[in-house]
Amino acid sequence: MSDYADNDYAMALGKEVAIADVDKELRLLWEEDKASTNASLINLAVYSEQKGAIIKNSERVQIITREHACRAILIGIDRNNPDASIRAWITAHCHLSHGRKSVCCEQIAFQLTGKSTGRLRNTVFSHLNSDLPLVFWWQGELSSLFSERLYSLIDRFIFDSSEWANPLESYGCIGEAMQSEQSLLPMDIEWTRSSQIRMAVAGLFDDPMAANALQHMNELRVVVHPKHRMAGLQLVAWVIQRTGWKQSKELPLGSDNGDIYHYETTEGSDVVVTIVTDPLSAPVGIMEFKSANCEVRVTRDAGSPYIRQELHAGSHQIERCTPSNSDDSADLVMNQLSRGGNNSLYRAVMPDFLELLGGELGCGCEVEDV
Amino acid sequence: MNNPFRKDLESRSRPEACTVVIFGATGDLTHRKLIPALYNLQVEGALPAGVKIIGFARREKSDEEFRSGLEEVNKKVSRSGHDDSIWADYAENIHYHQSEFQDASGYKRLAERLDEIDRERGGNGHRLFYIASAPEYFDDILENLKEAGINRNKKGFWSRVIVEKPFGTDLPTAKHLNQVVNKTFRERDTYRIDHYLGKETAQNIMVLRFANAIFEPLWNNRCIEQIQITCSENLGMEGGRGAYYDSAGAMRDMVQNHLLQLLSLVAMEPPTDLSADGVRDEKVKVLRSLRQWDTPELVADNVVRAQYIAGHVDGENVVGYREEDRVDPESMTESYVALRVLVDTWRWSGVPFYVRMGKQLPKKATEISIHFKEPPTVLFNALSGGVPGGNVLVIRIQPDEGISLRMVSKIPGSSLRMEPVKMDFHYATSFGKGSPEAYERLLLDSMAGDATLFARRDEVEEAWKFIDHIHHAWHQSKLPPVMSDYVAGTWGPKEADDLLGKNGHKWRRL
Repeated sequence: MSDYADNDYAMALGKEVAIADVDKELRLLWEEDKASTNASLINLAVYSEQKGAIIKNSERVQIITREHACRAILIGIDRNNPDASIRAWITAHCHLSHGRKSVCCEQIAFQLTGKSTGRLRNTVFSHLNSDLPLVFWWQGELSSLFSERLYSLIDRFIFDSSEWANPLESYGCIGEAMQSEQSLLPMDIEWTRSSQIRMAVAGLFDDPMAANALQHMNELRVVVHPKHRMAGLQLVAWVIQRTGWKQSKELPLGSDNGDIYHYETTEGSDVVVTIVTDPLSAPVGIMEFKSANCEVRVTRDAGSPYIRQELHAGSHQIERCTPSNSDDSADLVMNQLSRGGNNSLYRAVMPDFLELLGGELGCGCEVEDV
Repeated sequence: MNNPFRKDLESRSRPEACTVVIFGATGDLTHRKLIPALYNLQVEGALPAGVKIIGFARREKSDEEFRSGLEEVNKKVSRSGHDDSIWADYAENIHYHQSEFQDASGYKRLAERLDEIDRERGGNGHRLFYIASAPEYFDDILENLKEAGINRNKKGFWSRVIVEKPFGTDLPTAKHLNQVVNKTFRERDTYRIDHYLGKETAQNIMVLRFANAIFEPLWNNRCIEQIQITCSENLGMEGGRGAYYDSAGAMRDMVQNHLLQLLSLVAMEPPTDLSADGVRDEKVKVLRSLRQWDTPELVADNVVRAQYIAGHVDGENVVGYREEDRVDPESMTESYVALRVLVDTWRWSGVPFYVRMGKQLPKKATEISIHFKEPPTVLFNALSGGVPGGNVLVIRIQPDEGISLRMVSKIPGSSLRMEPVKMDFHYATSFGKGSPEAYERLLLDSMAGDATLFARRDEVEEAWKFIDHIHHAWHQSKLPPVMSDYVAGTWGPKEADDLLGKNGHKWRRL
């Protein structure tokens, strides 16, 4: 916190208030502004252990509240600081709804230092809006604070597996949490990154010629940015889970710049599946299926707002562009929140994905009292 | 052909790539609604790849001229804005087909064109015919489609038709239209579009009733005193609408279709499943249960018709209905109608449904209000003045879509004073993202073969049966009920207030 002046916090997070006065100050905030409507459909907690992230997260919440009315609770924690402290700020993010009404969402920001030792639960979660679901966006590596005492309070748990140094271990922790809390819904931002690609692929396979060719494919190639290998693996897992393709050789055959897998389709075609990493690629740059008579390709250039869909089957050609997801994490979270549901597809794909990821799952996290 | 990638990707039936043929392609509906709806589906990535659009109309136009006219309007009206790159790809699949609606050779050429598109697709393809022309051409279009053989389903491929309202002008014409349609397309391939059913709030009626456990136990004559359905418009006959409207009137234009559809959603029993026929079976039972106002006396007692006279709307002077452009100066067409409707079922026995629709009213609003019975006259209701107003659940269809619930609360203070308070849910406030246009949902549903939000033949005919009795009393009886009037910019004629006053009820103030 020392990297930021108090002024930076005040500018970004609003009015600093005593912890005991958060509710009272929020009430005063609304009493002062009778023209605005306070709206909230969810509690959105955004958690980060990265210094200064709380300021950036306030900007992200400003974006998210345009479409998702919520009570936002920002949590910044510096666990390495030997002094235990906690500070709080309140503000509201307001937007003109359909050019008429000013709709505002409350935000409470907490900055903690030192070991949590129960303060996160006791202080932060006592400010949830009752009866509304808690969506918890965990940024960065899972730490020892990710424990049963935390996730038992959560309805939807948002994380970004592309940020993990050891995905196997972190997925192991998520898996344990899901077993322990059946109602916990995991939402991986990395999975959302490829959602428009999946839509585009599915759209092309609506075409009867592409659908006929699916089980005669010989090649599936996915090109991803090196930071987004997880997205590539998830896409391949999605394909094999949906098509019923079976692994035909030992897994995995990795190479320096990608992964190679061998599958057999239900019609007996051998398919070589490659995930190629390219530093110039968009998070997911290419997903391409090839058979003797048909090519189905979905591409996106780095930074482009469009996805290109192509189908080539003899004289039958389809080419069109559709909008792509933004790469911004706030937009991706908005996208996830818009979808709602129980994320059944992600859950269905998980076993194949974890198999592709290889190795033994296991949560090695030491647990700390939240 | 099964596409495994669609499974679990979206919680809706899967739309299939097809060729959409729009009859009446140069009209307003095509330009302002259909093409922008399909464009927005493409923007959302929801339009199946390979969808082709053929505009069929009488005027001479090239593909380029047709596309350019559509683009100009799309730039103005598209919900998601206009993106040149996406439009360019989208427009490549739009073509124009010039033919008179009565010219059989035009349909033969259309058949060849469709076959050519199918050949490019590798064999056969699905076809969706959208009849957006003036109603007088419906018969010609349907018969010529049949004559040209392009109505037939090919093995594994469907041909469907979407018919725009009006579905006839009375029961005999509706039956005739249905016969013509069903001679050409099977009922299961016929989609009668009522865009009100595509609105989010209309779809939310079923969710509100059947996904919440608290409402259904109260949804009956033991707890509900009356139900009101209001559709008010603050417009008159602008844009040359007078000619059409004067031949239709409020009852045919709005009540027969939109408002009776809303009524049936409110009054229906829980369906056994969410299939199209499961839902529509229950809706048609409501329409069959409507008590028929089948004598002029019953019509006079239960229905009010009126025309507006000169007044002020939104601060502007407006002329009376009979002075409007293209309206007969001696017109006997109603610009306002209010009805007391009784649904003779166990659930609704004795509960009046008041339905009103009017032009040149103070504001634009469509809503359903459920008025619950007052509490027993003991405790608070026994005090002087009683309880101030019963509970009212309001479902706002448009604009400002949402739901509110009025209840009574104590005013803070040492004395016991009570006031009604309102819990209010606004779609726009809670869900910042705009709702899709009704046509987007309905077009996608028709490509997916999901007819839940479309009117079935028997629904249309039952609705006309109810309306026809009233029309007969108005226009063919020896002693027709009077035509009242109301000043433009007011909430309708006094007789409409009296209609409710007889039962001790009042119109809800919007």
